[in-house]
Amino acid sequence: MLAEVNSLVDADNGLISTRIFAEPEIYQEELEQIFARCWLFLCHETQIPQPGDFMTTYMGEDPVLVARDRSGNINAFLNICRHRGNRLCRAESGNAAAFICAYHGWAYGNDGGLQAVPNLQDAYYSELDTNKWGLIPVAQLDSYKGLIFATFDASAPPLLDYLGDVTWYLDFFFDRREGGVEVVGGMHKWILPANWKMPSENFCGDGYHTAWSHLSATTTGFGGEFRSKPSGEGKVISTGNGHCIVALGAEDQTDPSVPVILAYEAEIKQEVEKRLGDRINLVKPHAGTIFPNFSILRSIARTFRVWQPRGPGHTEIQAGVFVDKAAPPEVKEAFRIQAIRGFGPSGGFEQDDMDNWQGCSESGRGFISKRQRLNIAMGKGHESYDEKLSGWASDYRISENNHRNYYRRWGQMMSAANWSEL
Amino acid sequence: MRDETIREIEQFLYREARLLDDRKFHEWLELLTDDIRYWMPVRSNRYPVISKAISILDGSRYEEDELSKEGELAIMDEDKDSLTRRVQRLDTGMAWAEDPPSRTRHFVSNVQLEPGANDSELNVYSNFIMYRTRAETEVDFYVGCREDVLRKVGGQWKVAYRKIVLDQTVLLAKNVSNFF
Ligand code: FES
Ligand SMILES: [Fe+2]
Repeated sequence: MLAEVNSLVDADNGLISTRIFAEPEIYQEELEQIFARCWLFLCHETQIPQPGDFMTTYMGEDPVLVARDRSGNINAFLNICRHRGNRLCRAESGNAAAFICAYHGWAYGNDGGLQAVPNLQDAYYSELDTNKWGLIPVAQLDSYKGLIFATFDASAPPLLDYLGDVTWYLDFFFDRREGGVEVVGGMHKWILPANWKMPSENFCGDGYHTAWSHLSATTTGFGGEFRSKPSGEGKVISTGNGHCIVALGAEDQTDPSVPVILAYEAEIKQEVEKRLGDRINLVKPHAGTIFPNFSILRSIARTFRVWQPRGPGHTEIQAGVFVDKAAPPEVKEAFRIQAIRGFGPSGGFEQDDMDNWQGCSESGRGFISKRQRLNIAMGKGHESYDEKLSGWASDYRISENNHRNYYRRWGQMMSAANWSEL
Repeated sequence: MRDETIREIEQFLYREARLLDDRKFHEWLELLTDDIRYWMPVRSNRYPVISKAISILDGSRYEEDELSKEGELAIMDEDKDSLTRRVQRLDTGMAWAEDPPSRTRHFVSNVQLEPGANDSELNVYSNFIMYRTRAETEVDFYVGCREDVLRKVGGQWKVAYRKIVLDQTVLLAKNVSNFF
């Protein structure tokens, strides 16, 4: 638990220390205070649709195996053999009834149970209680609209409470039509030489960087005519618990201006309106971060990404692309292509972000630069609680309102001894 | 395959690599056919079917191929238009991943030729190493193989299809901002 958190984050005044991006001690505290306690995104249901399907991922730096058992239930476990700790499953995905450790051959079912142990009778004299040595499960696992989350903290509030008022915004991304979304096969995985909070804060509320950072991509048509005529409307919205959404005006065009996509969006407009209600006439959400490290985007590319921490200075990005399940094949294909060309390691937008995040993140290394406070004060005082949007919303479409709320939550998580203090 | 054809194709690939390293991207674009498909699938870690590390539950669903398929995610899935826009982006002075620019060196080897789908095409296989340094101390190695279809258009060889397979699952470079 971090005692000096006030010297690191002063959300009220819009100041954060460069140290939070660089110091190993702070990073170790994050693994404990944030990643071992918060609900973390694991995968989307459609990535493991059938019994036996599995994926491996991480919760913080802890390797995790997510598997659907024979009855179709989704479980998640530490991907670590209980015997001597070997990494149990080394594949990223597949289909299995059982996982057999490569070291001494302990075998676990896809429900986590320890099924077989070589030499159980002779070497162990049948004295090993296999019921006690199954895989270590997560403390809680739940899903929202196909998004599977888990926490290693049994005392964490239920997922729905944790998400709170951000759920409607998640619906806007993942549940606009009957059947929700499906994830395109395959994932982008790559190493970003920056602290995990840098991309998290970018997606949480940085509508500011787009115009300058990504001008080269917008002018050469990577996002279609993305935002060529912004209405000037839009808000950055903090719905609580550190969850943040970036929205443009309801009539702003945030989709890639690919004819097949625009035609599709026009066609389903009324259906979506009916499903999601009046709020979609107020704002058009297009990016966001679910605290701490799950980010979502639906302009240019429909993509989600998990910023997996890899030490203070590195992040493993794991990104997938989603499409409305009910969309016709040519629309799904158009979104797939847009996602690849705009986002991911080669994306006309995202390849430039990498460089900037790396640069920002390295600011906490030097002795003098460590003393600096970075500025997240934009629009301070120009925000208010908006009942209609269920969140603290900025007056103007560009604001660091969300940054302040994201880092405020970060500070709270880092200093709180338990959930009742939060 | 005739020796001089092999030499000719090798020289074509070397010239192409030189244009990329010299950052003559517009000239490079001219070596691509208008209907080019330029594809770099993603690769993931999987157990082969024979692996004893898992016992497969549903064999009909089991996929052991490491490469993503058509219609799945890819690192690049380009046509002439999108490649042209990638080059135009580099001309804006605001493509920050390449500003300052990468220093690249493409090594092309293990060139093999096979007859193509018709008389004007050849299937060409090659390996590559692309070494990149950038800014102060950034170093990346992109290593893999390519499966090309080269087509003779107006007496000139051009790339009509290129599949690029990178030998990494989690990409260790922070981005892919160069061509292969
Ligand atoms: S470490 Fe897994 S069986 Fe020994
Ligand atoms: Fe960006």
